[in-house]
Amino acid sequence: MEKILTKKEFPSWIKNLKSFNVYGPVKKDALWEYERIQDPDKLDLNFKNTVLSPKKIIFPQREVILDFNHKKKGKPEIQEALPEETKNVIFGVRPCDARALTLTDKVFEEEPGDKYYLRRRHQTVTVGLTCSDPPSENCFCTSLGGSPHSTEGLDILMTELNHKYYVHSFTDKGRELMKAASDVFKNPSEKDKKDLKQVHKESEKKIKRQVKELSKITDKLKGMFDSPFWDEESMSCLKCGICTYLCPTCHCFDISDEVLSSSPLKGQRVRTWDTCQFPYFTMHSSGHNPRPDKSSRLRQRILHKFSYFVDNYDDYQCTGCGRCISKCPVDIDIIEVLEKVKDYE
Amino acid sequence: MNENIYLPKLAKIIKIKQEVSGSRPIKTFRTQFLESSDFSHRSGQCAMLSVLGKGEAMISISSSPLEKDYLQFSILKSGRVTTALHEMEEGDIIGIRGPYGNHFPIEKWKGKNILFIGGGIGLAPIWSVLQTARAKKADYGKLALIYGARTSNDWVFKEELQELKNEMDIHLSIDCEEEGCNEFVGFVPQNVADKKPSPKNSISITCGPPIMIKFVIEALQELGFKDEQIYTTVENKMKCGIGKCGRCNIGKHYVCKDGPVYSWAELKTLPQEY
Ligand SMILES: Cc1cc2nc3c(=O)[nH]c(=O)nc-3n(C[C@H](O)[C@H](O)[C@H](O)COP(=O)(O)OP(=O)(O)OC[C@H]3O[C@@H](n4cnc5c(N)ncnc54)[C@H](O)[C@@H]3O)c2cc1C
Ligand code: SF4
Ligand code: FES
Repeated sequence: MEKILTKKEFPSWIKNLKSFNVYGPVKKDALWEYERIQDPDKLDLNFKNTVLSPKKIIFPQREVILDFNHKKKGKPEIQEALPEETKNVIFGVRPCDARALTLTDKVFEEEPGDKYYLRRRHQTVTVGLTCSDPPSENCFCTSLGGSPHSTEGLDILMTELNHKYYVHSFTDKGRELMKAASDVFKNPSEKDKKDLKQVHKESEKKIKRQVKELSKITDKLKGMFDSPFWDEESMSCLKCGICTYLCPTCHCFDISDEVLSSSPLKGQRVRTWDTCQFPYFTMHSSGHNPRPDKSSRLRQRILHKFSYFVDNYDDYQCTGCGRCISKCPVDIDIIEVLEKVKDYE
Repeated sequence: MNENIYLPKLAKIIKIKQEVSGSRPIKTFRTQFLESSDFSHRSGQCAMLSVLGKGEAMISISSSPLEKDYLQFSILKSGRVTTALHEMEEGDIIGIRGPYGNHFPIEKWKGKNILFIGGGIGLAPIWSVLQTARAKKADYGKLALIYGARTSNDWVFKEELQELKNEMDIHLSIDCEEEGCNEFVGFVPQNVADKKPSPKNSISITCGPPIMIKFVIEALQELGFKDEQIYTTVENKMKCGIGKCGRCNIGKHYVCKDGPVYSWAELKTLPQEY
């Protein structure tokens, strides 16, 4: 379904989505974050990029997976704590972040599937927004098979055309969402269609950064496990883990128990994001650590994304959002690292 | 997809045996599920054991799949969860999920001699396949075990080993000389070199600390064992057990799914990350 929605009418659409929890970009202390939106008039699609990707709504940073309790005499009780059954919609999803969801899908869908992730994913409608201007100077989506108007992982893509949006839905979930307020949408004119094409074309040209010949790099990486390259590249790394924490495709997690009361025992098993950039990620309780230094951990980050994931899931585990580049405190730049791989002797 | 992959099933500890005392204690636990369960494992697989409030630990199933009455685990006290397990008593209840990983291709080894080589707690992952081979003795050639630990106190399954001596060649070792102990003195790889097992029509399985595995493999190669004849297991830190938490990989392999059992022919092609 392809329609036109004026910016003025945009809040009316949202007001009609009464049965949905609506999420969208919200500005807090000068930073943009996806948050639950109560007041439709507050939903502002005029944003640069959010600190975290909307992955956090489907795969929260901390999530209770089991509740347990154990009274002195009697057997322990363990209950699954599945996410609430709700209908969610996220507005303003960047195409790279939506593509990232298709990658985490591969991991969590693979048998045996992960109920928690899959329930949230299936009950969430993703409404994307074309990046008419790149939201970050480090965007490089076009090097990874994406584009500022890519539709993978999206139910709807909205593209700004001056005072209106071109709204295109590709899935049943998307069409249903548009039908919730059918009277606010108008049919696009031939000019609108032409303008859309033009905006999409222009948007690609505005992506300034790129990695060339990625498949060559992937091949080269296969022989670089033992290379001194990783020592050189990781020299300045602070092991802060920001690069993975902000990444829309990183899916690694930890599972641990939190005790709420000790007698009778009551608590929760929680899963939290974890990162290959921390030493404890792989350290055995004996103290032995197969990945003992930052060099082996940078290598893991690059090889997971550009070699292992390609072998296992036939895709790069990176969509070019540029967050790890913009936010690394010591300017480790994944594009530069990849480009250097290509020329490394 | 109705199963919750993180939900453990409750099981009762029916028997606890102190295998090793001292500063690195090992206990063997036998467990039974409280409710009938379709849990069925192959030798070499592991299970995730839960102590509520403490967390989970991945442990090899040391009983043979032929043993239908209980699941057995032999556990070295090393941290939070394993310490909590060591504090438990018979009758206490734990959680179990699994089984995880691949298994020893024992069906392919019919007619072959099997040489088991273990160090310390590393006998636990071998114990299951050893018991299966022993129970189906007629299917296999000669069975032998080379096993060592720091001291004679540190050997696991001491009584069972004495009994087994009537059935197969058993070569024990200790790291340093000890009064009253007549077994080989030295590290496990040295004992392998000393006993000179023949590679002819043989398979060897070796488990133990990474450094021991490395030198045992060298010793076996020296004796003429081919890479395809050498099997080992890999232990990387694990959380999910199903290839999702991203923690246990060596290269593109997730040890929890694609391992923990590897032939050296396969393992040597993977990066050294274990
Ligand atoms: C495939 C496999 C089979 C194993 N089989 C046995 C066995 O038969 N007997 C035995 O005693 N031990 C075995 N281990 C090691 C055992 O899992 C760890 O000793 C145990 O997880 C330590 O947990 P902890 O909470 O007591 O220690 P802590 O150090 O407090 O653990 C903290 C966290 O790290 C993880 N962890 C720490 N060390 C390891 C490790 N070496 N391997 C995996 N995860 C680790 C634990 O999951 C835990 O959540 C096996 C490990 C693997 C991967
Ligand atoms: S953000 Fe930069 S400094 Fe921090 S762990 Fe990643 S590469 Fe290292
Ligand atoms: S233990 Fe989670 S991926 Fe292997």
